[in-house]
Amino acid sequence: MRSVDVARTALGNTFRSKLRTALTVVAIVIGSFTLTLTSGLGAGVNKYVDTVVAGFGGSSQMFVMSTGASDAAPTDGPAEYDPEAAASSGGMFGPGSGGGVLTDSDIESIEEIDNVSAVDPMVFVSPDYLETPDGAQYAMELDVPANALGLELEAGEAPGEDGMELSIPAEWLTIFDTEDAEQVLGETVQIGISNVTGEQTAVEAEIVGVSEEALSGIGATPMPSRELNQELNDLSMEGYEGQAQNAYTMAVVDVDDLEANEQGIKDALTEQDLLGLTVEDQIGAVQGVIDAVSWVLSGFGLIALLAASFGIVNTLLMSVQERTREIGLMKAMGMSSGKVFGLFSMEAVVIGILGSIIGVVLGLGAGILGNAWLTGDGGPLGAVAGLTLFAVDPLAIAGIIALIVFIAFLAGTLPAARAAKKDPIEALRYE
Amino acid sequence: MSTPVLETENLVKVYGKGATRFDALKGLTFEIHEGESVAIVGKSGSGKSTLMHLLALLDEPTSGVVALGGEPVTALKPKKVSQLRNESFGFVFQQFFLNPNQTVLENITLPLKIAGMGKSERNRRGMEVLEQLDMADKAKNKATNLSGGQKQRACIARALVNRPAVLFADEPTGNLDTVTSEIVEDILFGLHRDHGITLVVVTHDEDLAAKCQRRLMMQDGEIVAEEHGATGVHA
Ligand SMILES: Nc1ncnc2c1ncn2[C@@H]1O[C@H](COP(=O)(O)OP(=O)(O)O)[C@@H](O)[C@H]1O
Ligand SMILES: [Mg+2]
Repeated sequence: MRSVDVARTALGNTFRSKLRTALTVVAIVIGSFTLTLTSGLGAGVNKYVDTVVAGFGGSSQMFVMSTGASDAAPTDGPAEYDPEAAASSGGMFGPGSGGGVLTDSDIESIEEIDNVSAVDPMVFVSPDYLETPDGAQYAMELDVPANALGLELEAGEAPGEDGMELSIPAEWLTIFDTEDAEQVLGETVQIGISNVTGEQTAVEAEIVGVSEEALSGIGATPMPSRELNQELNDLSMEGYEGQAQNAYTMAVVDVDDLEANEQGIKDALTEQDLLGLTVEDQIGAVQGVIDAVSWVLSGFGLIALLAASFGIVNTLLMSVQERTREIGLMKAMGMSSGKVFGLFSMEAVVIGILGSIIGVVLGLGAGILGNAWLTGDGGPLGAVAGLTLFAVDPLAIAGIIALIVFIAFLAGTLPAARAAKKDPIEALRYE
Repeated sequence: MSTPVLETENLVKVYGKGATRFDALKGLTFEIHEGESVAIVGKSGSGKSTLMHLLALLDEPTSGVVALGGEPVTALKPKKVSQLRNESFGFVFQQFFLNPNQTVLENITLPLKIAGMGKSERNRRGMEVLEQLDMADKAKNKATNLSGGQKQRACIARALVNRPAVLFADEPTGNLDTVTSEIVEDILFGLHRDHGITLVVVTHDEDLAAKCQRRLMMQDGEIVAEEHGATGVHA
């Protein structure tokens, strides 16, 4: 028998008892639907996280903070108060709990580590208010310029190196009485900040961009340009009478060949009570959780498939029983046992293909529609910029179909072996 | 004389063991030549079907030899035996074993499909045989919608479609009324006469047996007599 004929015959036989086939297929559809949905969910969220990572301008950077507290051995008693350590927090790369600040000597020693090509120290500043042209003042927290790479913009551009510029979050459009992000570009605002002695001064800055809040939290607060950030920092340090020493919240370190040198640099940093984190370190944790959740859900899909495979065994055993005569006849006419096995395995495979494709199509439909509804305009998660909850990964889809067809084939081997063993004389004996 | 199509030597078939041991065939030796029509006759339980199954390579003898065209087949691999059956034999059974969901044409081309022949060639050969048996107009009918006689004719068509060397028929008229039996018998012997097909008919129907050139009379697993010459009507 030719392979095409085996396939065609198997297909025809599958539709012979439609209800039974349909019920068996439904069980597989449930499994394949679940797997499609969970893998798509994992792929979608991970894809989103990846775009967030990509937003940070590549993975050659490491964010270095001081671990601070380790200076103080337990026997030393209380640590001396250090006003520089009271730096503000905010943004994704703010100092970790108990983190201190980086000093100029820290920056120098970072620069001396092998494979470090550039060190960019960062300061967080805590302005008091933002004042609109009509005189209204709003409390504000500023993000650090280093995060500008991760900014999702609704209009304009990210604040750059030079110029007294900043971006504001889209939610802040209301203070300009507008909904059109383009309209606020070019507006100037005053930013007020207190110095060490409590005296307030204000600087003028231009709005160059309107940001959306990303999952990372970046874009939820205004973000200054480097020049603006430095200016605000200088203002806040005015009147400070101790040793004039610069204090940085963190440093962005460019690394040559991060993949190869990551561990070496981290070790070198640890020796100096510094902590280096890559973008992946921070976002990898998120991805790990997402992966774990989608694996657990996929586990349920696999259990459904396991149950479905018993359905296949059952259906085909019945079919073999019912078609004893037909099998006997085919064998009497010279069909080899191998081909009979092939024919019944093929019927299992047909059921598997049918169930997996229907399930995948339904799963993709549900995933795409669900994603559109949840993250679309006005949806429950519509406010998160660029969020995707579901992505179509052709490789994963092909993998799911292949897995299900393989499981179906395995389930079909028992009935197929039974069919292949049938003795034509027994089968054709008439009473 | 030419080599026999089929020959047996001391063919023994034993069913069961010990207390339930039953000697169905007790050492049969005979030959069937090309173009012969042979009837295997005997009472129910005398071992006719058992003998036919061995001749048709559907079963293996307990001891003894079956040779096809002078070649012993006992030592052949199952796959090779299957292929031999497919190429050399046609089967007509007492029951029809037609697949009710398929058309007559699909049913009768099954042996060709098993042989691995392409669909168009299959259908061409199938139609040829159906025309030969005056069944061409029923080719596209579902097998369920045929009368008993038409069904058996379809079965004969199926047995002929691979142009077998030997046509085996086990009680081919056992399920048919007298009139249809006549028709089916006429077809079988017409094929034998006009196309020189070797016919091996298992039957306990005296009329049918009488039309064959040779009759092997069986009783309790042995050939007790052999008759020559068609005594029946050879229209
Ligand atoms: N598979 C089997 N196991 C045991 N006994 C069998 C088997 N097949 C046939 N027999 C016995 O062998 C004898 C001959 O059977 P069979 O060849 O079918 O006779 P016939 O076709 O002449 O009626 C019968 O007594 C039958 O009961
Ligand atoms: Mg019998």
